[in-house]
Amino acid sequence: MTGLRKFGGRTWIVTAAALIVLLVVNTVLQKNFLEPSVVQSNLTTFLPLVLVAIGQTYVILGGDIDLSVGAIVALVNVVTVSVIAALGGDGTAVALGLLVGMAVGAGCGLLNGLIIAGLRFQPIVTTFATSIVFSGLALWVLPQAGMSVPEPYWRTYAGDILGLPTVYAIYVVAFLIAAFLAARPFMTRLKAAGGLRTAAYQTGLRLGALRVSAFVLSGLFAAFASLCLTGETASGDPLMGQSLAMTAISAVVLGGTALSGGVGGTLGSVLGAWVVGMIGSVIFFAGLPFEYQTLVQGLIILAALAGGVLVTRR
Amino acid sequence: MQPVLRATDISKSFGAVRALEKARLTVQRGEIHALLGANGCGKSTLCKIIAGTVGCDAGEVLIDGAPAALGSPRLAEEQGVALFYQELSLVPQLSVGDNVFLGREPRNALGFTDRAAIFRETEALIARVATVAGAGLTPDALVADLSPDQRQLTEILKVLARKPKIIIFDEATATLDRRQVEVFFDILRELRAGGVSSIFISHRMDEVFAIADRITVMRNGQTVAEFSAAETDRYAVVYAMVGETGAIAASVRDHAPLKGDARLVVEGVKAARLGPVSFTAQRGEILGLGGLQGQGQKALLSGLFGAEPFAAGRVTLDGVDVTARRPAEAIAHRIAYVSGDRGRDSALPGRSIFENTAIASLVRERRHVIPGALFRTRFAEVLSGLNTRYAGLDAPIGSLSGGNQQKVFISRWLSPSPGLLLLDDPTKGIDLGAKGDFYLLARKLADEGATVIIYSSEDSELLSLCDRVLVLNGGTVTADLTGERLTPFELTRASYGDAA
Amino acid sequence: MNRFVEIAKNPLVISGAAILALLIIGELVSPGFARGDQVVRLLTVSAILGIAAAGQNLVILGGREGIDLSIGAVISLGAVIAGNVMSGSDAAIPLAFAAACCAGFLIGVVNGLGVTYLRIPPLVMTLGMMGVIQGGLVVLSRGVPSGNAAPALMAFVNRSAFLGIPGILFVWAALVVLMALMLKRTRFGWSIYAVGSNENAAVLTGLPARRIRVLLYGLAGLCGGFTGVCVIGYTGNSFISVGDQYVLPSIIAVVIGGTSLAGGSGSYTGTALGAIALVLLQSVLTTLNLEFWGRQVIFGVTLLLLMLLYGRQARLRV
Repeated sequence: MTGLRKFGGRTWIVTAAALIVLLVVNTVLQKNFLEPSVVQSNLTTFLPLVLVAIGQTYVILGGDIDLSVGAIVALVNVVTVSVIAALGGDGTAVALGLLVGMAVGAGCGLLNGLIIAGLRFQPIVTTFATSIVFSGLALWVLPQAGMSVPEPYWRTYAGDILGLPTVYAIYVVAFLIAAFLAARPFMTRLKAAGGLRTAAYQTGLRLGALRVSAFVLSGLFAAFASLCLTGETASGDPLMGQSLAMTAISAVVLGGTALSGGVGGTLGSVLGAWVVGMIGSVIFFAGLPFEYQTLVQGLIILAALAGGVLVTRR
Repeated sequence: MQPVLRATDISKSFGAVRALEKARLTVQRGEIHALLGANGCGKSTLCKIIAGTVGCDAGEVLIDGAPAALGSPRLAEEQGVALFYQELSLVPQLSVGDNVFLGREPRNALGFTDRAAIFRETEALIARVATVAGAGLTPDALVADLSPDQRQLTEILKVLARKPKIIIFDEATATLDRRQVEVFFDILRELRAGGVSSIFISHRMDEVFAIADRITVMRNGQTVAEFSAAETDRYAVVYAMVGETGAIAASVRDHAPLKGDARLVVEGVKAARLGPVSFTAQRGEILGLGGLQGQGQKALLSGLFGAEPFAAGRVTLDGVDVTARRPAEAIAHRIAYVSGDRGRDSALPGRSIFENTAIASLVRERRHVIPGALFRTRFAEVLSGLNTRYAGLDAPIGSLSGGNQQKVFISRWLSPSPGLLLLDDPTKGIDLGAKGDFYLLARKLADEGATVIIYSSEDSELLSLCDRVLVLNGGTVTADLTGERLTPFELTRASYGDAA
Repeated sequence: MNRFVEIAKNPLVISGAAILALLIIGELVSPGFARGDQVVRLLTVSAILGIAAAGQNLVILGGREGIDLSIGAVISLGAVIAGNVMSGSDAAIPLAFAAACCAGFLIGVVNGLGVTYLRIPPLVMTLGMMGVIQGGLVVLSRGVPSGNAAPALMAFVNRSAFLGIPGILFVWAALVVLMALMLKRTRFGWSIYAVGSNENAAVLTGLPARRIRVLLYGLAGLCGGFTGVCVIGYTGNSFISVGDQYVLPSIIAVVIGGTSLAGGSGSYTGTALGAIALVLLQSVLTTLNLEFWGRQVIFGVTLLLLMLLYGRQARLRV
């Protein structure tokens, strides 16, 4: 147990270092990498993963895990797209669609949380089971990919809000939410719940409420990610975001949050998500054939994990 | 006067085991009330019921005369009850300050955690124990990085920070040394002066008579006696604890000095907070390791067993080099180790008593296939030889009491009997009867030719059991006490580094 | 009454009852569902899942959050290797098994080394490994399926070897017996439980916990490789994601069979029954002619209901 603080701290630093290396390499490979438009395009690509990773961090800090975020992304996407279409596709319809989408995400998270914290189910298998249910429901709502979203939706997503690119505004809002939560007792209590559950219970914390909140946050951030992806693809897809859960968990772990719970934070997860995203970018610009992407990405993630642990050892 | 706490007719069963049967406890405002009884008598369960961690099957708890709803620790806390958990309620991943104020964090106007206030107030609390806290106990230190006694102090601070009117200290002094206990007692007296009631549970009778105003004694889940500390004596209290049936194990110490050759030679061993240490021991000798908590005794034992190998030095047993790099090597040389921390070091939870017993023999005898019938007869015999009470070899290990579990864990090493037996505070948290059995067993093994090295947190245990005691202080041996010099006075003096 | 509850809570009893109930439902919905040859076919599918789940079972029993998410990729790898080694030739079948099992074992050992010596959480380690293997397969095959099964291998999986029962079922039955004997009667089996139950205590009784854990992951990989060969025997040829569909079912079969995800308790007999129950459930849902989404939802809800029975964690307040 000794050196736990160093563990949390150092993995985080290793990830930041990895990110810097990747940035440098990418700048060398891609001459226009630092141009604002390229930066914005990259950050847009990484945004869904960043959002899902932030949400996942809360669940993992609380000692649980949420494998269903990918399915939630799909369900939110098809529900939002369908609601907008059903309401005629004007501005009100889009606004309502966004609200319904977020409610669906939060509702899925609430369901996960209630089953896991309330009925004392194991989180891995439970969220796997609910992910099957959610993707089943997504296929029910929209059996095949298609059904486009109205133009104002994706145009706003690609455009500006109050002079700030929408994507950046979303980053800012996400960071504000994360910073707000981090400054509240909620975060410490959540870490306590994930760190040593009996101790947290004996201390009088409302464990159920804490864990359920974490799942709701995860569902909500998955909904945000889904709405962003919808802005990017401008259509409904019941199979959207399938690999997001696993990638987000990798990002969270790369960011120094312990899978056993209790140690870590959202900032690390954001870095982790960027690292995962940058790996893809570097592979692309290194001119490697597309087939190498998964292999190299997997190898680098493993190497980063191993490296993080080796650095901690000393 | 209205008692601050009155618990009546409390009953609780865990499955088929009846932990409490109509237990009662009455505590007055501003008193220090000792709750005593052999282990498994139900006092911890009673405390947990009062603190809301455990539900009760029947009975009533009144706080200030009004029925108290104790459905959860939070509800209990709202009614002014705080419990010092014997197994501690600290989250290792969080800092000392976060732990102390967990669940009741000071907030600023915006509802954010006021980290400066946490730091300040924790620092003020630490100042109360500053003289004995040791290095590293700061508000932002991680609990995981603290030593056991510092964690215990932190748990005490956490209880104090809740400003309760009733505090239950369940074995709060277990890993504290004497100076730390003194500071803790000062705090208790302060609390008493402020009208706070403390329920004090301790296995050390000295402490009870040093601090308690009144004493309640429990036995087999029932409350059997209540005393005023000033009007009673140890004999009466122990008699109430043990009852008619129990008998305190007689001293099994063999005072005749052993004459023989050294068979265990330890030369210049070193580890992180240990050494260099050199000593020898003989066949048939029970060698005690004394001193304050955490002076290297455990490091020495786990080093000898190879669990945390020595960084330097050499160990020989009967002329053979037995310096172990891992436990398997030590075991191959007939070295056995029994830890007092059963949950961490010994128990295989969820597995049967049979598996828990026989597992070591597979390694020791290099067997790859389990001789079921042979082992069953063998271990049934060994266990009954130790007066172990159990339902059957296939019952889960968790169905046994602490004392009986410890007998199972020592029985791992008894067939064939070990050449060197290392005991690391082996009787921690087990009842008097089992302790007596344990002493007799250690003596018997020594008489049969084993060398026994025992570390105990209880000096009386070392004094009654050991032929010789090495006192450690700061990782080195400061005294080697035998014969007439093996007295409480010398032991205490040497423990404080005051070598004679 | 208590005794009855205890028996009813036994995972073997629950899985057994679920199997019976599913057979009856299947027969009611579609007469002929529970006919001999149908059952044999379902058992064959269960055998393939069951062999994969054997590996999963071992790493889960070994505790420390043990889990092998790379098993699907290893199955795919095994299938691709076997397909290329055999190329339709019966003579190369033993070599195909050997090559696939060796590859699986080696990958498993790497997983085990990462988990024990680098202390990477198993979920993450095997997840990363899954990505690496999948990426490797894409690179090697360029996404084009290659290789095909030898006729004798397909007969081994699909045709009767004796009394209408294909050879793979005999192999699976032997595996069930072997695993039971190993877990209950050998030091290695006891070591798995000991390490899974309390690693520190296991080390203090002299067990080489780390080596045991590495071996467990190695064996899981070996089971994956073996399953891969069976899969190509079942389907005839391989594609690079053929094993993906086995990852989560292999875990669920273990859970249904009563093995605790915390490690240290459970049995392979339970897992085998769990695999059969799972395959039956999928088959019943298909028979019900439900649309895909409906099957998914029912499958998920059933899983949740099963967990309600015995997948629950301990209460904090007693």
